Amino acid sequence: MPIFNLSSFSKRLKDKEWGMGEFKVHRVRFFNYVPSGIRCVAYNNQSNRLAVSRTDGTVEIYNLSANYFQEKFFPGHESRATEALCWAEGQRLFSAGLNGEILEYDLQALNIKYALDAFGGPIWSMAASPSGSQLVVGCEDGSVKLFEVTPEKIQFARNFDRQKSRILSLSWHPAGTHIAAGSIDYISVFDVKSGSIIRKMVLDRQHLGVTKSRCIVWGVAFLSDGTVISVDSVGKVQLWDSATGTLVKSHLIANADVQSIAVADQEDSFVVGTAEGTVFHFQLVSVTSSSSEKQWVRTKPFQHHTHDVRTVAHSPTALISGGTDTHLVIRPLMEKVEVKNYDAALRKITFPHRRLISCSKRRQLLLFQFAHHLELWRLGSTLATGKNGDTLPLSKNADHLLHLKTKGPENIICSCVSQCGSWIAYSTASRFFLYRLKYEHDNISLQRVSKMPAFLQSAVHILFSEDSRKLFVASNQGSLHILHLLEGSFKHLHTFQPQSGTVEAMCLLAVSPDGNWLAASGTSAGVHVYDLNHLKLHCTVPAYNFPVTALAIAPNTNNLVIAHSDQQVFEFSIPDKQYTDWSRAVQKQGFHQLWLQRDTPITHISFHPKRPMHILLHDAYMFCIIDKALPLPNDKTVLYNPLPPKNESDVFLRRTAHAFKISKIYKPLLFMDLLDERTLVAVERPLDDIIAQLPPPIKKKKFGT
Amino acid sequence: MVQLRPRSSRVPAPAEAMVDEDQLGPEEEEEAEHGLLLGQPSSGAAAEPLDEDDDDDAPEELTFACAQAEAREEELRVRESVRRDKTLLKEKRKRREELFIEQKKRKLLPDAVLEQLTTASEADIKKSQENVKVHLKKESEHIAKGRNSKKVKIQEVHSASQNKSYLAVRLKDQELRDSRQEAAKHFIHNCLYGSESKRTTVNKFLSLNNKRLPVKKAAAQFLNSTWGAQKQQNARRFKKRWMARKMKKKTYK
Repeated sequence: MPIFNLSSFSKRLKDKEWGMGEFKVHRVRFFNYVPSGIRCVAYNNQSNRLAVSRTDGTVEIYNLSANYFQEKFFPGHESRATEALCWAEGQRLFSAGLNGEILEYDLQALNIKYALDAFGGPIWSMAASPSGSQLVVGCEDGSVKLFEVTPEKIQFARNFDRQKSRILSLSWHPAGTHIAAGSIDYISVFDVKSGSIIRKMVLDRQHLGVTKSRCIVWGVAFLSDGTVISVDSVGKVQLWDSATGTLVKSHLIANADVQSIAVADQEDSFVVGTAEGTVFHFQLVSVTSSSSEKQWVRTKPFQHHTHDVRTVAHSPTALISGGTDTHLVIRPLMEKVEVKNYDAALRKITFPHRRLISCSKRRQLLLFQFAHHLELWRLGSTLATGKNGDTLPLSKNADHLLHLKTKGPENIICSCVSQCGSWIAYSTASRFFLYRLKYEHDNISLQRVSKMPAFLQSAVHILFSEDSRKLFVASNQGSLHILHLLEGSFKHLHTFQPQSGTVEAMCLLAVSPDGNWLAASGTSAGVHVYDLNHLKLHCTVPAYNFPVTALAIAPNTNNLVIAHSDQQVFEFSIPDKQYTDWSRAVQKQGFHQLWLQRDTPITHISFHPKRPMHILLHDAYMFCIIDKALPLPNDKTVLYNPLPPKNESDVFLRRTAHAFKISKIYKPLLFMDLLDERTLVAVERPLDDIIAQLPPPIKKKKFGT
Repeated sequence: MVQLRPRSSRVPAPAEAMVDEDQLGPEEEEEAEHGLLLGQPSSGAAAEPLDEDDDDDAPEELTFACAQAEAREEELRVRESVRRDKTLLKEKRKRREELFIEQKKRKLLPDAVLEQLTTASEADIKKSQENVKVHLKKESEHIAKGRNSKKVKIQEVHSASQNKSYLAVRLKDQELRDSRQEAAKHFIHNCLYGSESKRTTVNKFLSLNNKRLPVKKAAAQFLNSTWGAQKQQNARRFKKRWMARKMKKKTYK
């Protein structure tokens, strides 16, 4: 194993032999990407989807039925710090934040439908009524405001009795008659009909004999029997009787804040998250085996987080938690899972399920996409040679060529660098930018292409053609624009309008290397293939239940390779308009069990220019070459090679064993592509590097340290 | 009453020449006429200019008419100077007024822009969420800086609402909102990372894991710039204490 110096830009060229060929690998670790922390999660039972909001204002939608795939996202905004997120009226998603606005998201067109000022200062909390027809928000100035959800918008209905301090948490009674609101040092219970406060419960600031300056109620939950559960900054989970306003039971569970609470729909269990990173599961169990009297008991602690757990959710079968350490953790409850298969395993999602990196093969450039800037790097090179597995010293270090900051407060949605390296395009939610790069010896000059047409406002995906003469832009209105690039300017060639009646945004694009075909896929509709010579729709790939995670068109054969979120890979021949024989054979036999159990989606597919039988693909934890000429593995054969090959015969054996050559050396792997026939580039992002840049965690005493 | 006549007494002439004829108000003109009329008898009895040759003579007696005429002239002169001052002041005021009007005109947006702003309703602008919020003040300052050094807030909004690349907001509201948002952020940061929260540092946290590993790794962050300062401070403090202790012992002896 090579030794990595984490404090500097470390980059190693490695000669590594594995699979079918020998490759020189650029091992890139200078992509300084830090995901932003998770602030809220909201689970929707109807569609089995999970909405996640992050501290930079990004909102992501995960489809839990489709193998936890992140199918949609709304880019963040500097001034839009989201503090609350909820589903209402079926499948409408609302968020509120410190800028005092309530937003509704358009899940079809992937933009924000409207923003409505609540006029109460920063909003700390929001909750939808059990029927979904009303929203309440808790504001900085101590007001609780009720909004009616109308089919088109939301409308302010009335204010409840104003409180003295900010309302940090809210919860509806399941019958919709009362609301519990937590603020600093007390919990108030409102009557929804009259809007007046009927009960006020004052919390104790003492923690193990030490009086704190305040006790912040981070979360409340109202149960149908009138019990209010509160979690606070003192470290307690407390149960109150709302009818009498008395404390029923108090659990001291942490030395730090307890920051979040979520209750199951059946009200037989709830989950709380603490600042120490622990998630506790509470269950309603009988006091004795025969009696019908039940009480809340702390049953299971889970320590999947290192930092604060800012939010939790309770789906019928799993506990979901997220926090400052940027992981989204989905922990299935064993007693609720019927079939003990791989779905019952813990899921930890850290990296976005889309590519943040694009590569210019001809100039050996990498373009890194961050929230508010782009970085362009030129890869280093080496003259040294070595044996298999050696780490080669660099004769020329990697160059940081360009640091391009965005204007305005919006996050970047997508970016791309052309194959020749002379064009860079990126898009925010309201503007599209195209730059022309010129290289003169060692310095480069950047020139913005001005006067972008009005239809190019925001793009979901950008792609340059292989010869860098065309630019394909998928807009969030469902249309595909084709631009012809000239020296320093462009010409609009054509726009493919979406199929009538759909406004669904296209999320993925792939163009064939000969420039004749363009494939585009949306979030749920199938993959469309367009003929670029005749500018018309060529065919549509038969629909499949699971969303597409990666697309690519092979050179020469023009076979479209599609990876889905359930780990299926299809090969579709564009000229013949049908699946290829290999794809049919794979489907007949089925993939290997272990292949289907991987939990991160395939994010990139590429091809070897000299070996038409190879498909190269990767997810966050493995890189794979599929050799179509070799027999497929069945469930009895070993899919992964646990150890590196020791001798020549070992190598030969593995080469000929089965079609899937898998390497797990590089992880977490954010990007991997073939630069030329014998060179690969792998971009890794070690988790320790991310932790080193996160806010400080709570101090804990560990035995023996 | 005997008045001595000054030697060069031809003062009124230049004063009269200075006064602008058309600037005179009707009353003042009348007054002037009146003065002239009053002065007439003095000019009629001007038989004295004979005594210019004999310097050694005792001061001559002036006739009453002559003295009166001189006094009148004096009075006229004073009045005229006052009038002149007045007119100058008027002129100045007038010019300033004109300047103000001019400035007011310059401050306003072009008519076309104003029309567009009124036609495009606020709701319409707010709806398009993708718009970038542009702080008008900032922009105007930029423009002012670029064009002239005067801090005149001139707003040049080309084709407002035509390309919806920005959103117009009232600065007062925005400032209030920003300050409230800042205060809220400060509150949450204080709650989570303030003095009452028991936080460690990232380096200590990572080293905790490292201590329990069978194979020890290097620290994630090698350098801590505060260490140098901290150590120096500790050394200084230690020296101080040591000295104090020594001194104490000496005094006891």
